[in-house]
Amino acid sequence: MHNFEKTFLKRKSRVIPGFGLSIGITVTMLSLVVLIPLFSVFLLLSESTFSDFLRVITDKQTIAAYQVSLSCSAIAAVVNVVFGILLAWILTRYQFPMRRILDGLIELPLALPTAVAGIALTTLYSEQGWIGRWFAKIGVKISYSKTGIVIAMIFIGIPLVVRSVQPVLEKLDPQYEEAAQVLGASRSRTFFKVVLPEILPAALTGFGLAFAKSIGEYGSVVFIAGNIPYETQIVPLIIMNKLEQFNYPAATAIAFVMVVFAFLLLFGINLIQAHIQKIARG
Amino acid sequence: MYVQLKNINKKFGSYQAAENISFSIEKGKLIGLLGPSGSGKTTILRMIAGLEEPDSGDIYIDGQCVNGLPASKRGIGFVFQNYALFRYMTVFDNIAFGLEVQKKDKEYTKQRVNELIELIGLKGLENRRPHQLSGGQKQRVAFARALAPNPHLLLLDEPFAAIDAKVRKELRTWLRETINKVGITSIFVTHDQEEAVEVADEIIITNTGHIEQIGSPVEIYKNPATPFAARFIGESMIVEDYGRFSGFELEEGYEKAVLRPEFIKVTRTDKEVYPHASQRAIIEDSLFRGNMLELRLNVSGIKLVAYRSLEDDFLAVGEEVSVLIYRLYLYNDTQVRLAENKSFQASDIFTI
Amino acid sequence: MKENIIKWLLILIGAAFLGIMLLLPLAAVLVYSLRQGFEVFFLAVTDDYTVKALKLTLFTTVISVAVNTLFGVFAAWGISKFQFRGKQALTTLIDIPFSISPIIAGLVFILVFGRIGWAYPLLEAWDIKIVFAVPGIVLATIFVTFPFVARELIPLMQAQGSDEEEAAALMGAKGLRIFRKVTFPHIKWGLLYGIILCTARALGEFGAVSVVSGHLRGKTNTLPLHVEILFNEFKLTAAFAVSSILVLIAVLILILRNIVEYRVKREER
Repeated sequence: MHNFEKTFLKRKSRVIPGFGLSIGITVTMLSLVVLIPLFSVFLLLSESTFSDFLRVITDKQTIAAYQVSLSCSAIAAVVNVVFGILLAWILTRYQFPMRRILDGLIELPLALPTAVAGIALTTLYSEQGWIGRWFAKIGVKISYSKTGIVIAMIFIGIPLVVRSVQPVLEKLDPQYEEAAQVLGASRSRTFFKVVLPEILPAALTGFGLAFAKSIGEYGSVVFIAGNIPYETQIVPLIIMNKLEQFNYPAATAIAFVMVVFAFLLLFGINLIQAHIQKIARG
Repeated sequence: MYVQLKNINKKFGSYQAAENISFSIEKGKLIGLLGPSGSGKTTILRMIAGLEEPDSGDIYIDGQCVNGLPASKRGIGFVFQNYALFRYMTVFDNIAFGLEVQKKDKEYTKQRVNELIELIGLKGLENRRPHQLSGGQKQRVAFARALAPNPHLLLLDEPFAAIDAKVRKELRTWLRETINKVGITSIFVTHDQEEAVEVADEIIITNTGHIEQIGSPVEIYKNPATPFAARFIGESMIVEDYGRFSGFELEEGYEKAVLRPEFIKVTRTDKEVYPHASQRAIIEDSLFRGNMLELRLNVSGIKLVAYRSLEDDFLAVGEEVSVLIYRLYLYNDTQVRLAENKSFQASDIFTI
Repeated sequence: MKENIIKWLLILIGAAFLGIMLLLPLAAVLVYSLRQGFEVFFLAVTDDYTVKALKLTLFTTVISVAVNTLFGVFAAWGISKFQFRGKQALTTLIDIPFSISPIIAGLVFILVFGRIGWAYPLLEAWDIKIVFAVPGIVLATIFVTFPFVARELIPLMQAQGSDEEEAAALMGAKGLRIFRKVTFPHIKWGLLYGIILCTARALGEFGAVSVVSGHLRGKTNTLPLHVEILFNEFKLTAAFAVSSILVLIAVLILILRNIVEYRVKREER
C-alpha cells in the first residue's frame, strides 16, 4: 500500500488518510459496474465479421431510424436552445409573480419517470387529446408522427439547456450590460451583441446535452412515436426489437454506432467551445 | 452650471448612500468625488449617469432635468472600474460600438475610431481583443469607447483602482492631459486622495452620504471645513493632549487636534533656532522612504511622524532632537480651527 | 415603454411554453386517472400487481441509492482530496453511464449475464438468475444511476479544497473521524441533493429495466413497467392511476430538491 501511494500520489497529499481505500473502492466498483460490462460489448462485436457488422448497421430500416432519431433530436435541441435561453433570461433578469414556482418546475422532466411522461404526452397529443384534437381539426397528426417525437424530445431536454445557461447569466458581470446601455444601446441590441456571445458556450453545452439525451431516450419517446417502420422508429427501438428477437450481435452493432456517435458529438462540441473561449479569454 | 444636483436622496435598504446632496459643476471642469469606501460617491456618479434613480431630488445636465431619462438617452460617457470592455469584440469594434448605435456611416466611424486610437496612443492594436491588452491599455480603450459618440459629460468610476501602482501614476497624468485636450466636463470617483489632488480641478469630499467640503485641492488642504476633511486629506496624526506641545494651549471645546508631518520641523539640538517654540524629543525610529526619511518621534510622550530630507544632517535613532510644531488643526465633532504656534514669531514657512 | 412590453411578452411566452410542455402533461395524468371516478382509481392503485410493482421499485431504488451513495462518497473523497495522475480520466469514466442510452445500459447487462453472456456458465453453475430476474433489475438500475451522487459531490468537494482535512490529519485524526467531523458538515446538503437526484432517476428508470426484466407481472415488474403494460392493454385509466403515484412522488422530489438547492447555495457562500 505504501509503495502504491508513493508511485501514484504527488507529494503534498500523503498527509490525508484513505487514498488507497477510496481509490481502491472507486476503481473496483467502477470496473465491476461500468467497465467490465461495457467491455463485453467489444467482446461480442469482435465475434462477428466486419461485413456482418456493416450489413447490420446499414440495413434500410436501421438507416431510416438513424434519420428519424438524428433529425428529430436536432430539431428538438434547437428549439430547446431558443426557449432555454429565453427561460434562463426571464428567470434571472425579471421579477414576476410565480417566478419561483416556474423556476422549480424546470426539473420536472428529470424527476418524472420516463414512462409516465411518455404516456401522458401520447394521450395529450392524440386525436382525442386536449391538444391533439385542435390539430386533428386542421388535419395535423401529432401523436404517432415525427412531430410527436420532437415534442417528447423537447420535453426531456428543457432542464438541460436552461440549467446550463442560467448560472452563466446569473454570474455575468452587470457592467457589460451597463456599459452598452450608457453607450446608447437598446435592450435588444445589448442582448444580441453583448450578452449572447457570453452565453454561447453554455448554450452549446446545453445543446449537446439535449441532443445526446434525445437520441438515446427510450421511455418518453417510444409511446408517442407509434413505431411505424421507416416513419417513426427511433434507434433505441430498433435495438429493442433486435433484442426481442434475441439477435444480440445486431443489437450490439447498432448500439456501438450510437455510442461512437455520442462520443463524436460531445467531442465536436467541446472543440467548438474551446474555440469560442479562446476568442475571448486567450 | 453644467451639472446640478438638488436635494438628492438615495437609500439601499437601511444604508443611506446619499442624504440631501446638492452641488453644481461648471462646464469644462474636471471634478473629483473623493471619499472612503461606502461614502456614497459611486452612487452619486451612477445616479448622474442614469444607472440608478434617486429616491427624491433633481438632477440637471446642461439645463435639462434628466430625472427618469434612461441612461441610454443621456449622452454621457462612462468609464467603469473594471473597464467592462466587450470581450468578444476587437478594440476597434469596442470603440465603434457607440457610433454604430448612433447609426453613423462606415466612413465616419472608421475615421473617428482611428482618431481616438491615435489619441490614446494604441495605434496598431485595433484588431486585438481585450484579453491581449494590459490593464493600462484596457482602461485607455474604455476611455476611447466612452468618448467616441461625443458625449457632453464624462464620468469615471474609480478608473485606476484595478491598475498596478506604477502604471497608475503615468495613466493619471495622461488622463488629466487628455481630458484637458478634449475639453470635456468630467467627474471621476476615487478613494485615493493623492489621486484626487493630482488630477482634479475641484474636489468634492463625501462621507456617509454627505458632502463634507467642495473646493480646489489647495483650498481643502489649507482650510479644511470639517473635522473629516481635516483628517482625510494629507497624512494625519490625531493627538489628544496637544496642550503639551510648546506654543499651544488646550482650548475649551476642542478635545483633539490633527497635525501633519509638514507642520513639524526636526533639527539637531545644537542647530535649534526657536528654543521657546520648540521642545525636545527622542527619535524612536528612522525609516527610509525612497526619497526621504520618515522619523518616528516621541515628543513628551506623544508619538509623531515627521519627514526629513536626505540632504540634511544625519540624525541617529535614540538621539535627542529639537522639534518645532508650526500649527495644528483643533477639532471637535462639528468644527475645525487652525491654531498657530503662539511662541513662534518668525514669518510663516509653509511647506507643502 | 417599449422595453416593458418586450419584458412581459417574453415572460408570457416563457410561462406559456412551460405551462404547455410541463404542466399540461401533469394535469393530464391526474385528470385522466380520476376520469372514471374515485373508486376505479382506488382499485387500480391497490391492485395486487400494482402493489407488488411498487414494492419492487422501492426495493430497487433503495439498494441503488445506497450503493451509489457509498460509491459517490468514496470516489469524491479520492478525487478531491488527493493529487494524482489520471484524475481527469477517472472522472470521465465515472460519467459514462450518464451519457449512455438506457437501452444500451440494459443491453450491456444482457451481454454479461444473459444466455450469451460470458458470465452465464458461472451463474448457471450456482443457479443464480440475473437477467429476467430481480438482481438484473437492481444491477441495471445501479448502472444507470451510478454517477449521480459522485457528480454532485466531486465538484463540491473539489471547490472546498483539502486544507481542513489536512489540518485534522496533521493533528493525528484518523480517516473516519476526519470525514465525520470535518468533511461531512460541509457536504451534507450537496450529498442530500445528489441522493435526491439519484432516487428520482432510479424510481423512474424504464429503458434499461425494460430490456433486462422480462416483464413478468408480480415478479419482475417495476412500477414504470407496470404502467407500460396497462397502457398497451388500453387500460388507460388504470395506467394513469398508477402513474399518479409516480407523479406525486415526482412533485415531492421537486419540492425537496428546491429546498435542498437553496441550502446548498447558502453553504457555498
